[in-house]
Amino acid sequence: MAEDAGVPEDYLVALWRAVAVFRVAALAYAALTVSQNFTGYRHPLGGWIVLGVMAAWTAYTVARFPPPATPTPASARTVPLVADLCVTAGCVLATHWVESAARLVAGEPPITVMWLGGPVLAWAVAYGRRGGLFAGAVIALCNFLIHTPHSAYTLSQLSFAPGLLLLAGASLGYLARLAVRAQEALERGTRLQAAAHERDRLARDIHDSVLQVLARVQRQGLAAGGEAAELGRLAGEQEAALRALVGIGAADPEPAAGIRDIRVLITMLADPTVTVAAPATPVLLPAPAAEELVLALRAALDNVAGHCPPETRVWILIEDEPASVTVSLRDDGPGFAPGRLERAAEAGRLGVAQSILGRVRELGGTARVDSVPGQGTEVELRVPR
Amino acid sequence: MGAGAGSGRIRLMVVDDHPMWRGGIARDLEGSRYEVVAEAGDGAQALRLAAATRPELVVLDLHLPDLGGVAVIRGLLAENPEVRILILSASGEYQDVLDAVKAGATGYLLKSAAAAEFRDALDRTALGEPVFTPGLAGLVLGEYRRLAAERAVPSAETPRLTLRETEVLRLVASGLSYKQIAQRLSLSHRTVQNHVQNTLNKLQLHNRVELARYAIREGLGDDVEA
Repeated sequence: MAEDAGVPEDYLVALWRAVAVFRVAALAYAALTVSQNFTGYRHPLGGWIVLGVMAAWTAYTVARFPPPATPTPASARTVPLVADLCVTAGCVLATHWVESAARLVAGEPPITVMWLGGPVLAWAVAYGRRGGLFAGAVIALCNFLIHTPHSAYTLSQLSFAPGLLLLAGASLGYLARLAVRAQEALERGTRLQAAAHERDRLARDIHDSVLQVLARVQRQGLAAGGEAAELGRLAGEQEAALRALVGIGAADPEPAAGIRDIRVLITMLADPTVTVAAPATPVLLPAPAAEELVLALRAALDNVAGHCPPETRVWILIEDEPASVTVSLRDDGPGFAPGRLERAAEAGRLGVAQSILGRVRELGGTARVDSVPGQGTEVELRVPR
Repeated sequence: MGAGAGSGRIRLMVVDDHPMWRGGIARDLEGSRYEVVAEAGDGAQALRLAAATRPELVVLDLHLPDLGGVAVIRGLLAENPEVRILILSASGEYQDVLDAVKAGATGYLLKSAAAAEFRDALDRTALGEPVFTPGLAGLVLGEYRRLAAERAVPSAETPRLTLRETEVLRLVASGLSYKQIAQRLSLSHRTVQNHVQNTLNKLQLHNRVELARYAIREGLGDDVEA
């Protein structure tokens, strides 16, 4: 049914991928640091062992994260994430054993360097802002514990890494929740669109059936005459209104912000005495121009209703040219003598001059009104793009 | 059917999924020079019955439960290239009507048209004359403009309207009868009709060329019904 309702890509997957990239890059950086520093370590071999653990854990998380979400048991998700936090915390704490306190005071980084941020990001993506803050706090605490004695450090040295960890956890967590909400909105939109497509399809069938009946009632009623003719006339009015809507198909009246398909606006004016002819493809104008044009057309129709017998018919033609849009309106009413419009305007009756010609000229367009007594009136409105 | 063969009545098929309309059209045509030789409720049945009964004229509703209007029209013309097709539709969406006419239907009428109008449209379709509503003229006019705008440099094959043809189509779209147009442009009725006919012919020819080109590109060359 919904041809374009493919499941949208999970935004969170992109965040998990970003976390994996971070872990690999941070591992490479840690490996570089260890290979340069290990000669100075208290336990050089320990340095390599911790690096090995980090590499193995990175490989595991890259391969297995994101851990499965619902509807699997909650433990399937929590266990790997808790393990992530524990392993990383352990690696940070191992610094205390591998690296000498003097070197740490001198500014050497913990053995994990930036890699300690991995679980903070993972918890943020998995559990949102609170998860990110919690994991950030745990790692920050470990980082705090290895920097002993605390009196050897300045406050900014001690607070720099924890601050960064908490900030990263909170902000990525916020972003992840935003992604989840965007995802839900997108999926809801896709579902609604699919439902709307289906409803359109059903509506087309129903409209066609209703039109068949209305057209038949109109035809038979008018042929039978008398009271039946009145029914036929009423059916005809509904038929014309509904057909005008159906003819345009599923055309979007506002294909882009501020742009209107004037076919949709103008077909709304159709009734049994007003016929609209238009291209099969959208005829686009900026919204203000489209609305002015429709007001000018309405004024012309009001003019016909005011000055012509009730059975007068009107034809509206919409033409889409490269540089302009032309809308012509013709009626088969009695028409008027040349010069009457000018005299009316001079006498201060501005109806046609103001409401039709004025509107179109304000849009930079041209308007022409022609009439021959006995042959109806033609109005041609041309609006540049 | 047996009686019709010698009497010179025109063999007509009605394709419509509404029994009400099939019956109604048959009733409208009682005692006329049209003989309803087949009534079909869907596209597949229409194609089967067309092969069996060889109608000269088909009155086709575009809204069928199985096939689209274009598929039925192509099938009918493949069976008999001489068959005349009049679209009689209740709800014709603009694009469907345009596609049907490009595929080879020569006329379009709304179901709300009066019985006399319908009879007149049948007479003209039987003679091979195009039957245009103002709405259809607007669609054809729009299609020529769309084709012209499609390519930055219009190629020689892009069908184009002459100034006169554009003028005539605009007047048809504005609700004038051929007679009124002839008067206004000081042309004969016949000439006006020829202009309308040409606008349709060029569009249908272009459509066939495009189809054939598509078929060749897709390696379907053998199946093309030109």
